[in-house]
Formats: sequence, C-alpha cells, structure tokens
Amino acid sequence: MNKNLLGSAAFVALGAALAFVPLSGYQEGIVVLLCINCIAAMGVSLLTGFTGIFTLGHAAYMALGAYTAAIMTVRYGIHWLPAIVAGGIVAVFVAWLIGIPTLRLTGDYYAIASIGLGEAIRLILENWQSFTRGARGFPGIESYSTRPVSVVFFTVLGIFMFNLLDSRLGRELKASRDDRAAASLMGFHTPTSRMKALLLSAFYCGISGALLAGYMNFIQPSMFDMMKSTELTAVVVFGGLGSMSGTLLGSAIITSVMEYFRDISQYRMLIYGFLLVVIMVLRPEGLLGSREIWSFFMPASDGSGGARGRE
Amino acid sequence: MEAMKEVMKEARQEVMKEKARENMRVLLELNGINLFFGGVQAVRDMSFTIMDDELAGIIGPNGAGKTTVFNIISGVYSPTSGSIWFREQDITPLMAYQVNRLGIARTFQNLRLFGRSSALENVMTAMQNRYRYSFRENLWGHLTPSYRPDPAYHYSFAESLLHVGRWRRTESHIRARSMELLDRVGLADRARQAAGTLPYGLQRRLEIARALALDPKLLLLDEPAAGMNPEEVAGLNRLITGIHREFKLTTLVIEHHMDVIMEICPHIVCMNFGAKIAEGSPEEIQSNPEVLSAYLGDEDDADGEGVSA
Amino acid sequence: MGIDMQFTTLFQQIINGLSLGSVYALIAVGYSLVYSILSFSNFAHGGFLVVGGYICYGLLSGLDVYGYFTIPPFNIWLAGLNALIGAGFIAVLTERLAYKPIRERTSMTLYLLIASMGVSIVIENIFVIVVGGRFRALPQDIFQDVFAVLEKILGFFGLQSTREGSSHLFNLGGNVTVSMFDILSLIVAVLFLGGLQLFLRRTRWGLAIRAAACDLRTAGLMGVNVSLLIGIVFFVAGVLAAIGGIFLSFRYTLYPQLGGITTKAFVAAVIGGLGSLPGAVVGSLILGLAEMLSTGFISSQMRDLVVFSLLVIMLLVKPAGFFGKQISDKI
Repeated sequence: MNKNLLGSAAFVALGAALAFVPLSGYQEGIVVLLCINCIAAMGVSLLTGFTGIFTLGHAAYMALGAYTAAIMTVRYGIHWLPAIVAGGIVAVFVAWLIGIPTLRLTGDYYAIASIGLGEAIRLILENWQSFTRGARGFPGIESYSTRPVSVVFFTVLGIFMFNLLDSRLGRELKASRDDRAAASLMGFHTPTSRMKALLLSAFYCGISGALLAGYMNFIQPSMFDMMKSTELTAVVVFGGLGSMSGTLLGSAIITSVMEYFRDISQYRMLIYGFLLVVIMVLRPEGLLGSREIWSFFMPASDGSGGARGRE
Repeated sequence: MEAMKEVMKEARQEVMKEKARENMRVLLELNGINLFFGGVQAVRDMSFTIMDDELAGIIGPNGAGKTTVFNIISGVYSPTSGSIWFREQDITPLMAYQVNRLGIARTFQNLRLFGRSSALENVMTAMQNRYRYSFRENLWGHLTPSYRPDPAYHYSFAESLLHVGRWRRTESHIRARSMELLDRVGLADRARQAAGTLPYGLQRRLEIARALALDPKLLLLDEPAAGMNPEEVAGLNRLITGIHREFKLTTLVIEHHMDVIMEICPHIVCMNFGAKIAEGSPEEIQSNPEVLSAYLGDEDDADGEGVSA
Repeated sequence: MGIDMQFTTLFQQIINGLSLGSVYALIAVGYSLVYSILSFSNFAHGGFLVVGGYICYGLLSGLDVYGYFTIPPFNIWLAGLNALIGAGFIAVLTERLAYKPIRERTSMTLYLLIASMGVSIVIENIFVIVVGGRFRALPQDIFQDVFAVLEKILGFFGLQSTREGSSHLFNLGGNVTVSMFDILSLIVAVLFLGGLQLFLRRTRWGLAIRAAACDLRTAGLMGVNVSLLIGIVFFVAGVLAAIGGIFLSFRYTLYPQLGGITTKAFVAAVIGGLGSLPGAVVGSLILGLAEMLSTGFISSQMRDLVVFSLLVIMLLVKPAGFFGKQISDKI
C-alpha cells in the first residue's frame, strides 16, 4: 500500500464521515464552519508555517473571496460553483499585486505591512458603497455552503495541500523558510518561491471566504478585520508551525471551543485572548511542533521540532 | 618488429598527451577582482584560473577574504570591478541562483542546512532542480484520452497535485538518487533524521552531499574540515579526493589549516589581506617566504587592514 | 474655494496633522523602543493606551465601585499622573506575566508576538465586560487650567485667543485659527519625547538601554540587569502610550477598541524604520500630516486609505524605512 494513497484515503474517509454521519441542524452548521475555517487555516499555514512569512492580513483574502462570490451570485445570478472558484481567483490576483512590493520584506516588516494592506482592502470594501453596499453589509446570499459542498471542498483542497507539501513545492518552500541564502544557492529563486506560497494561500483563503458567504447568507467588511486575521495566524501557531495536520487539529479545537462558549459571548473573546497567552507560555511550539501527526506513529522519525529564531 | 611497436606506443602516448592538453581547458577564471565594503577593500586584484578536472585549494589566515572570494564566485556578492568567467561565459552580473543553475555548487563555512527537514529531504531539495517541471500542463490535459505528456518535462504541477502519473516515477527517482549520495558520504542510516540534529561532522558531510546533488561542474567547499578532529579530517580528505576522482568534479577547497590542503590539493592559491600572495604547488607554497610570514604572523602588518571573511 | 481659503485650510491641516502626528509619535516611540530591545511587535501596546485612557477618565469623573467606596473627581494633573503610572505598571505586569516566561524558554520572537495579541484581546475585553463597550467622551473642560497657563504664555508673544463654545482657539493672524488642544498635544509630545531623549542620552540606564538595543545578550554579559532593564523599557513604553491614550480619547472618544489605532503608529514605525526612535517620530509626523491633509482636501473617509497607500509606496522605495537597518544575509 502506497503511503501517498493511504493519506488521500484517510482524507476521503474523514470527509465521508463528516458528510454522512447523521447530525442535527446545529451540528451540521458546526461541521460547515469547521470545513471553512480549516480551508483558510491551511492557506495561512502554508505561508506562515512552511514558508516562514508571518501574515496578519489574510482575512482580507477571505473578504475578497466572500464579496466576489456574493456579488456574482446575487447581482449577476451566476451559479455558486463558478462563483466560489472565482472568489479564489480574485484573491490570488490581488495577492499577486500586493506581493510584488511586500514580499521583499521580512519578519515584522511584512507582518505590519500585511496588517496595513489587509485593513486597506477592508476599507475599500467599506467605502465602495455602490458595489459592495459598504459597511451595512451584503445580504441575501444563497445558502450554497451546505454540508456536502463544504466537505467536498475541504477534502479536495486538503488532499491537494498535503500532496503539494510532500512534493517538490513543499521542499522548495521549506528551503526558503529555513535558509533563504542557502536556498538561492541551491538554484531556487526565493522571491518566486515566496510568491508561490502567497498565491496558493490567498487561493485557499478566497475559497474559504466564498464558502463563508454562502454559509452566513450575509457578509460585512467588519467580519474580516484584523481580529479575524489574528485568529487565522493564531490557529496555525497553536497547531504547530510547519505541521499541516497540526493546523487542522488546532483549527478544529479552536472552532469547537469558540462554539462551546457561544452562549457566554461576552466572555468568549476574553477566554480566547487568555488562551493565546497561556498556550504561548506553556507550549509555544504548538500542539504538534513542526511534525506531522503520522510521524508520531512511524519508527525513527525525525525528532526535530525545536525552536529556531525567526528569519 | 619490437622497435616498431615501441614507436607506435610512443606515438599513441603523444596523441593521448595532446588530447589531455586539449581537455585541460579553463573552467573558472577570475580577472582582477576587487571588492569594497564601504571604504574597506575586502578583495584586492584577485586573479586565478581553475582548469577542468582540477582539485585546487585556497589557503590563508583567518580573515584573509577566502569566503568572500567564494561569495563572489557563487554570486552572493557582485565584485566592485573585475570579471568572473565560467566555462567561457561571463557570470559576473548573474545572481546566486543563476550561477548555481550554470553548475557551481558550494558548501558553507557556518553550516547552512535546512535544519528542520530530514537529511534525505535536504538532498532531495537540491536534487529536484535537475528534473524539469512544467506548470503549464494543466489538469484537464491529463483527463483527455488523447493526451500525451510533453517529453521535455519530467512531471507537471497537476501531477504533483494529485500524486499521479509521471510524478511517482520522478519522485522515486529523486529519492533513490538522493539516497545513493547520502550513502556515498556515509549518511544512509541517518537519512530520516532532522538535519539540524545531526552531529557536527555529519552535517558537514550532508552539506557535501547536498552540493553534489546539484550535479555541479565546479564544487566549492568552504572550510569543510572546520571543527573536526584529526581522525574526522582524515576521513574527510579521503571523501573529497574520492569524490573528485569518481565524479570527475573540479573542486576548489578553502582551508586555513595548511596541512589539510597540502595533502590533497596539487594547486594552491594563498591569500592574505584580501589579495593573492602566492600560487603554485604545495612545495612552492611551503617554501614561499610571504606565505610563511603570513602564517607566522608579521606583527607590523597584522592590524589595520583587517578584512572580514 | 478661493486660493485664500485653500491656503487657510492647508495651514490649519498642517497644524492639525503635526498635532495628530505627535500623538502617534508618542505611541510609535514606545512601540519602537520595545522593538529595539526585544525585536518583536508588541500588539498589547494598544492595550496600555486604553488602560491609560480609562484610568484618566475614571479619575476625572469620579469612581463609584459598586457603592463600596467612592473616589471624588480628580483634577487633570492628578488623573493624568495616575493614568501614566497605571499604564506603565500594567505594561510591566504584562511583561512579567506573559512575555518573561516565553523569553526565557525560546528565542523565537513569533511566540511573543502571538502572546502580545492575546494580551491585547484580554485587555480590550476586560474593559468591555467591566465598563461596557460604550463610547465615552472625556469632559471638555478638563484642560481648562492647562489652557489658562498656555494662554498666558502665548499671550506674552502677542497671540490672541478666542473661544467658540467649549473649544479654545488661537488666532495666528488672518483667518488662521488653531485649537488650543492641538498646541497642547504638540507641546506635551515634544516635552515627553525630549525627556525620553535626555533619559536615553544622559543617564546610566539610558546608556544601558541603548547598549541593549544593539545587543541584549552582550549587554547582559557586561553586567546590565537585563530583567530590570526590560521592566524599565516597558514602563516607559506604557507611560508614553498612556499619554497618547489620553489625547486620543480627548480628540475622539474613549472605547475599549481605541487601542486598534496603534496600527497606525505601527505603520508609522515601519515607515520610519522599525526599532529606530527618530524614525518613529518622523514616520508619525508624516502619517499625521498625510491623514489631516487628505481629510482637508480629499475626504475624511479616504484618510486611512491614504495612510496605507503611503505605507505601500514607502515599502516600494525604501523597504527598511527611513532609518531602518537594511538586513543582509551573512554567509
């Protein structure tokens, strides 16, 4: 049995379980939300965990995906499936424009710039009244993000992501993360590698945003503020930088915990902020460190996962 | 009859020598390289040539500018003036990744492995650039029955997205050849260990394997023996000379321990204060008074024009 | 608009811009100071600002803690002083409880950054829960005494002051008037930044901080008490943030999310070059001017967009900011 096939099979099994296990309406909603959050988290994980680019503005790409899908379906009556894909593509295009000036930056410079640009995109959506209806929000979006739809998107994108990481692209990104100079002396044009990671992650976030629009039926620029971006990155750090399975696990845990505390919404954010601090103090390397979950079950696995300085 | 055979043999040898002389072409040529960092001159009028198939060494005391010369050759720094030629091509203006793609690989004095990846992954990362990859061939192409993959590429993005088709063959190829290289440097049993957790000496060997994976025409080794004990150094010397012979690989080694280079390199360049002070065979270098004074330390010259490596 | 009117607007917006910029500078300098020592972006900085604002607000309007005890209203001097010390204290507390354990465990600054976001969320939501999310306006007459002093000083130079409702204005000749508040925030910012400069240049601890900004570890090896030094730096940062907080809540209103405005101070610090104090000041002034000029000549909705486009342009031209160090890989 091939290892790759095994991974894909596991993913399909997980997807099938999520899609076909009978659930109540409320639980179904959580599954959809879980899929949506996991897709976005995978995108951010690729950029932050595997390429070492720390972003605090990826909610903006979700916003672009959400608004693209919403406007296409509501205003132009286009079917939701192409609209979702278009959401991803628009996010990629904008990411490309943004990446050209900002990807030269490293460390906190990039982080602050990504906050600024994320906020700029949100402000544009807020002020472009005629097109986006501004801060009041965009209502009346069709409920296309049903459980099967979001599970299928999650499964397919998940398999793609794991396959890419366990392949040429994954090695290239990790090389440019661990040592940019050494990577360029291995023949990699590191700016291109970084751009690839940014575009892919924007695509995932765009799709996630488009699905979110179909789940909420109503979107508003303030849903995609810096808080949301922080949450995306925090989930990735919580799961363990450089561990895609850790990201999925972290996202699932955070989403469930936040759902659990929904009733005491006043304290929800307080608990969330407190959790972030406590996790960083007690286990900064995150749930899985930089290892994938299956490496814990395999003999003689690479016992790494130590902390290294950022860039 | 016997005399006739003798003559024929001599003639044949003559032809062989002629051929050998033709084969001894210039691989790398540095022409009057100068490099300034602000007001400090790090490299001064550096010129030397490396012939094809040579095993050459650069020696010099700490801070003589040896690593800087490597950085200039490998495209990390651009020289302020002068030019670098590699296989009859001017590589002076090229960026590091372009120089690398032309066939110059190097190791680093202060190990620069991809620490969190496994040893095998480190080598595979370098190896994969030998295989051509197509982004253009899309997913739909693979689904149409009449589709024939472009033979110019080893695999495509779509295939690696799904782990199907040529991806499998190519990936297992990359893996197998990387394992061979790891085996060659004596790291086969550590293939799955994270590179950053390997012992120091093995990390140096892994760097050599990673450089070899790039299939270079010229290998630059930056202080491969630094921090090793004499026993490890002996093993390393065997490895370097072995690789040189086996892969027919032109190799340029930096060391500040004279004895290492004296033992393995027939052609030596000696540097001090960013300039070449001597060049020749080990015997010539050893008897050169300037080299001796550079190594024994001439106190009057020792400060002032300090140059960082 | 006639040329004259345009000129008047221009002049007024420049003063406004400098005043706003000087408030940003107070915040950005504190942030940059912490960055220069620990090389991480302290996102809890906005929290310190809010703490300062609320302490000042609470003491000005008098506290009534569930009827157990009451504190009579303070005047601005006392309330301000308490706010500065309180925010400084919270900053030190944050460092000790949240950052120190992380610092001691790993050298990865990313973890500090995430923790600082956690702290910022915690502070924001504590205020949401305890005092509610309402917008609160600081009483408009709190600076009365200060303004009176200022009037006398400026009157000495022959500048006439007028009043329009509750706002004090200065006549600079022609139609150009400047609000007293703008002048006050400019003066206070200059005083505190000058004080900081004196502290860094003239005192032993200032020297230690400058050394630590070059290399914290080496400074520690040279016998500097690193833990105390970081405490002092956080206290200073908290104090500066609190002043910014008081001025911002007077300029706008006070609410738990006011700390979000630090994003602009961060942007200013990036424009000036991360970790550079003069850079933070220059970046803040540029930002304040850009914001106010676009308010005056384009529209107030576009001001944030102008700020962020400025950031992009800056990054294109000078990726390390005005005074930042260009990071180069050493091989």
